Amino acid sequence: MNIFPENATTYGQEIDNLFYLILTFVAIAFVISVVVLFYPMFRYSEKRNPKAQYITGEKKSHFKWVMYALIMLAMSDFIIMYAEHGTWEKIEEDVPTDGIRVGITGIQWNWVFNYAGKDGKVMTADDIVINEANSELHVPINTNIIMELRARDVVHDVFLPNARTKYDVIPGRTHVKWANFTKVGKYEVVCSQICGVLHSKMRNYIVVDTKEDYDKYMAALYAKQDSANAPKPAAPAIDTTAKADSTKAADKK
Amino acid sequence: MEHGHKQSFASKYLFSTDHKVIGIQYITVGLLMAVIGGFLAYVFRYNLAFPGKDIPLFGQLLPQQYNTFITNHGMIMVFWVGMPILLSGLGNLLIPTMVGTDDMAFPFLNMLSFWIFTLSAIVLIAAFFVPGGAFGGGWTMYPPLSAGGYMNTSPDLLTALFSGTSLMILAVALEFVAMLMGGINFLVTTINKRAKGMTPWRIPLIVWFLDIASVIFMFSCGPLVAGAFMLLLDNIVGTGFFDASRGGDPILWQHLFWFFGHPEVYVLLLPALGVLGEIIPVFSRKPLFAYKTIIYLALASAVLSVVVWAHHQFVSGIDPRMATFFSVGTIIISIPFAGIFLAFMATLWGGSIKFTVPMMFALGFVALFLVGGLTGLFLGSNAFDIYAHDSYFVVAHFHYTLFPDIFFGFFAAFYFWFPKYLGKELNVTLGKIHFWLTTIFFNSTFFLLFFNGLHGQHRRINDYSFFGNVAMEPYSTFEKVATISAICLILSQLVFVLNLFKTLSSGKKAAKNPWNAATLEWVTDTPPIHGNFETFPEVYRGPYEYSVPDAKDDFIPQNVAN
Repeated sequence: MNIFPENATTYGQEIDNLFYLILTFVAIAFVISVVVLFYPMFRYSEKRNPKAQYITGEKKSHFKWVMYALIMLAMSDFIIMYAEHGTWEKIEEDVPTDGIRVGITGIQWNWVFNYAGKDGKVMTADDIVINEANSELHVPINTNIIMELRARDVVHDVFLPNARTKYDVIPGRTHVKWANFTKVGKYEVVCSQICGVLHSKMRNYIVVDTKEDYDKYMAALYAKQDSANAPKPAAPAIDTTAKADSTKAADKK
Repeated sequence: MEHGHKQSFASKYLFSTDHKVIGIQYITVGLLMAVIGGFLAYVFRYNLAFPGKDIPLFGQLLPQQYNTFITNHGMIMVFWVGMPILLSGLGNLLIPTMVGTDDMAFPFLNMLSFWIFTLSAIVLIAAFFVPGGAFGGGWTMYPPLSAGGYMNTSPDLLTALFSGTSLMILAVALEFVAMLMGGINFLVTTINKRAKGMTPWRIPLIVWFLDIASVIFMFSCGPLVAGAFMLLLDNIVGTGFFDASRGGDPILWQHLFWFFGHPEVYVLLLPALGVLGEIIPVFSRKPLFAYKTIIYLALASAVLSVVVWAHHQFVSGIDPRMATFFSVGTIIISIPFAGIFLAFMATLWGGSIKFTVPMMFALGFVALFLVGGLTGLFLGSNAFDIYAHDSYFVVAHFHYTLFPDIFFGFFAAFYFWFPKYLGKELNVTLGKIHFWLTTIFFNSTFFLLFFNGLHGQHRRINDYSFFGNVAMEPYSTFEKVATISAICLILSQLVFVLNLFKTLSSGKKAAKNPWNAATLEWVTDTPPIHGNFETFPEVYRGPYEYSVPDAKDDFIPQNVAN
């Protein structure tokens, strides 16, 4: 039995290692505490020790034992903090600037994926927008995938268990997060923040392709977009706020 | 002091101003709400193990109902079970008797507090019966889901006011009014109405802890009441406090909510720790270890409790650099609480331990909370929290803290003080059976869920067969084990109910001080008369004088002068 689902990103292993590091401290603390709690139940039971000692614990010589334990706990805490800080910085603060940008937008109840159009930018008029249940977002392997995270209606949360990452998406804000996938495969994108009636059905996929497969896939997408656009003018821009407003206005009427 | 005049049934049992009756009323309503909260848990746990199947005693559970049930399970268990039982119930029963006075400082306010609380419970339950049903967006009520028309609200003002969302907000606000009245009473009573000689360092730990909990509650609830009011306005008149498209901010609510919501955890924890502080010395026949230091540690944790809230928001979009600050705050606050638990364990060393039913629940609390506390280390670490946030790891973690806290804390208090306040002896065998069944089934319900969480099982989903990472063995089996155990855990409480009713109808009259405890409530008659004491007691010593060398008995009550 694996503790974690398959890891597919560069930083995923650090999260798993952090778990095992904390587990080590927790296991030691657990064993010591269990001994300190259960040994006296046995040794100082009414039968074995009919007369209790009068110890108030206010003396330094008694309280020092609690102090030692607390200092040990504080030290373990700070070792954990020290060890994890680099991981936190890497995932949350140091978002790379080079890579492929994609848009992931939470709506009730689906993830909408935006690929950059010919202009190379996401969330512009010429984006290729995928808004279907159980849709797939194709990304290349060993490349920084920079995800622009948005929500159109309510708070959602992008959770990629296999990438070991997760971030809330909030209406009115854009969060930029990243991942770099190291394994070809199809991984779930789920919503980890309750978002209404069909929250339980929010599930799409990130498909990690080899670079060649990815190029082929994108070429096909662009070709399809060209043929769809040929007779008609370009599709209108995806203006998330305007859309949210109009649905809300409709609700209020 | 004896209020011996004849009282009608209503004024004696319903609209009583006697603190003991009010305490029992609070606990009774809390337990009735626990039945509802437990039933909701049964329904959605059954649905999780056997998705789509008809649920016995209920039927089909629709997705929206599932959301409603988990939301209200959380709301009820925290605000309508934990708060009334631990804070208001125990506070009302114990504070006046333990500080040696006849009643609360403001008895009428106290009665009002209970009835406003009852009204809040009715409002909460009423939300199930309005069109659209109760609110189903998580007990944290994050807007915009809880505001602005996304969920069973309506353009018409009255309909909006009587929507599930608005009613839940109203119920919370009403409950806070009730708890504020109670908190004022606790503090004024402790400060002004203590018996002669009851100096601050002679006040029993639980009274200290109930008062510290009340102070934390009063300091932290302001922002949430303001937030609730803004949310209500967003719902019924269409303001945009939490609407990004109109200049509001959904994250504002999260700050207001958690600024209250995390201190609330300590509001629930401190009274239960106070229960341990009373029970463990009595059944170890030993003074409470480091009584004064424990109180200082609790005061320190009260201050720290207001700088940890954003650890609920590590991945919500706050500045990532802020997370480190809150991560440090979170691990620092673990230290005073670890100190308090260690002092309880140290009390056992060198004692003469009696394994009575209240003592078993108290020790069970410490053992289970150990798991809850230590798993908190994983979540307090902000980098690992990226992965574990909003997963079943969190669910298992907070059930390992709050279940021992609310239920083991309450049961310990129940088996300990029932003979005093209701005057009858409980059945010991049934009590022990109740303890073992509760402990075993609690663990088998929640322990395996840690593993489901680590394997990527996210929260508040009604059918996990849809998700590849958890729709596999052994995780779907764990899900079923958790459900069957949860049902057994609920059924085990029938032993408690049986014991309660058997004792009430045919229990033996309890002695005045069956446990040989030293605090003042054991000096009163059993059960205490209206007014508590025949003559006001005078206090000569601290609350934990057990096994004092050269003393006649192995305990010296607080009111005995040498």
